[in-house]
Amino acid sequence: MADKPNAQKSVKIAAGAVICVESEIRGDVTIGPRTVVHPKARIIAEAGPIVIGEGNLIEEQALIINGYPENITPESEVEPKTMTIGMNNVFEVGCVSQALKIGDNNVIESKADVGRNVILTSGCIIGAFCQVNTCEVIPENTVIYGSGCMRRVQTERPQPQTLQLDFLMKILPNYHHLKKTVKAGHTAS
Amino acid sequence: MASLLQPDRVVYLVRGEKRIRAPLSQLYFCRYCSELRSLECVSHEVDSHYCPSCLENMPSAEAKLKKNRCANCFDCPCCMHTLSTRATNIPAPLPDDPTKTAMKKAYYLACGFCRWTSRDVGMADKSVASGGWQEPENPSTQRINKLIEYYQQLAHREKQDRDRKKLARRRQCMPLAFSEKYGLGTRLQRQRSGAPISSLSGLSLKEGEDQKEITIEPAQALDEVEPLPEDCYTRPISLPEVTTLRQRLLQPDFQPAGASQLHPRHKHLLMKRSLRCRKCEHNLSKPEFNPTSIKFKIQLVAVSYIPEVRIMSIPNLRNMKESQVLLTLTNPVENITHVTLAPCEDEDPDDINSTAKVMVPSKELVLAGKDAAAEYDELAEPQDFQDDPDVVAFRKSNKIGFFIRVIPQKDEDADVTVSFKIRHDFRNLAAPVRPSEEGADTAAVAAEAIWLTHHVELRLGPLAP
Repeated sequence: MADKPNAQKSVKIAAGAVICVESEIRGDVTIGPRTVVHPKARIIAEAGPIVIGEGNLIEEQALIINGYPENITPESEVEPKTMTIGMNNVFEVGCVSQALKIGDNNVIESKADVGRNVILTSGCIIGAFCQVNTCEVIPENTVIYGSGCMRRVQTERPQPQTLQLDFLMKILPNYHHLKKTVKAGHTAS
Repeated sequence: MASLLQPDRVVYLVRGEKRIRAPLSQLYFCRYCSELRSLECVSHEVDSHYCPSCLENMPSAEAKLKKNRCANCFDCPCCMHTLSTRATNIPAPLPDDPTKTAMKKAYYLACGFCRWTSRDVGMADKSVASGGWQEPENPSTQRINKLIEYYQQLAHREKQDRDRKKLARRRQCMPLAFSEKYGLGTRLQRQRSGAPISSLSGLSLKEGEDQKEITIEPAQALDEVEPLPEDCYTRPISLPEVTTLRQRLLQPDFQPAGASQLHPRHKHLLMKRSLRCRKCEHNLSKPEFNPTSIKFKIQLVAVSYIPEVRIMSIPNLRNMKESQVLLTLTNPVENITHVTLAPCEDEDPDDINSTAKVMVPSKELVLAGKDAAAEYDELAEPQDFQDDPDVVAFRKSNKIGFFIRVIPQKDEDADVTVSFKIRHDFRNLAAPVRPSEEGADTAAVAAEAIWLTHHVELRLGPLAP
């Protein structure tokens, strides 16, 4: 909303999320419980808010950015679109995600690049170094792999990384300072 | 400029059955014939078979029996990566007490690259980690085996007929009149006539054993073919379900059109090969038997015998203008090498690719030997070679940099190519020391130097715009 520029631009972290201080989170970002954000991960909400669900794993140097599309300058009036990320997703090291809608149980592998106009449903796996910048909805349980971005459908969705999440939530606080929880209901006065 | 060090910039000419131009790193040097050899003028022999993922060695007979495939490892039918075995815990009823369930380990195959699992094609999880996986049986195996047996027997019989005809012809050439003239002839003839008879008797014995004739039915041509399904044209294609050509042709027995019928196959074995010079039958390259070892028992590669020319820097090349190109020459052997360069003659049949005239230094270049301990030896006197600064740019242990002058002749988009001949002395340590050379001469001194000439072509790059 244009008349309250500073009201919503804060980071809301739910209880139970483990966010390392070295990560960079800018803009209006909501992070659900049981989500782990590694150091050096970057979540940038420039052109709109980002809502991240629970049980997600965002690894080092991953970049989740709700940025302006290339041909639109920041000054012109554009409706801010919310980027929604569901549950149990994994953003591996060095990936870049600009997709506006990501469902559940997806895996974006290392150094993959997902464009703004892609919508990931559930159970999709974007393979390492695959660049997907088409304008489409990726059907469920699709695997994109290989240098030619071959596709195939797998019969079962990838398992949620509960073991890894539990381990990280125990170990990361031993070595990193964590960002403090900010209740989502806390409204700016 | 790393692109100047690319291997295909400098090629050497191999004068074998075919004229082949290849970079020195891909060539071999037969030190008995004193010639360069490329992969096409040597004979390749299979040394051993091994699996690339489990590195298991297999003798050739066993490999042939298993159709050159590993027994333990599988390939993903989707992306041809190696499959790994993963385990899950599933609740299964105990054999003693059907009401209680215990966690049992179930194994399935999964690909780490394309996330294909054996459950995708309906293969049930196995209870053993390895050895439980079977390849699907080819329905035509029996017919193919029968055909193979029949044709093997036919070939064997044809060979026997051919041998018999050859021996029969020999006997006809020696009429009985000769046997009386030469006493020796009779004995020889008796021996010779004895031999074919005994071999024929051997054959007849074999025939006696092989009484069972294999007959095959001829293949029957069918008039009616299965009709296409009715919705063949109207049914929308689901692309993920269709196999690619590559996936299909990797399984030639089945060639499944649907992805749900792609079963994993055993991994292909790779082989280690040894190379042999065709002229003198000496081994040029013989790897070690162990698949985990990358060393060679015999390694006669060209880079360890022939001085190597490399391009160091190229100025801007302009058409019909003289420029200086800096090249380096490296000496691979431990003794001093003398190198002379010569431009190609006007009507040289080897000189087909050059597009520029080249002026090479006319003096003899001296290269120091390769001394591995030189950098640690502080007391060594630097060897004093009288270098002409116009010719030799720098000298560093066994390497020198020298200038050549290039005048591009053609104003085309293609790369400027120059060629020249390089002549160096080679001491053949493989040749046996002659017994006349007695005394305290070491083998290195006693070995005589022969002069070898090679034709070298360099690709310098495009003309400057």
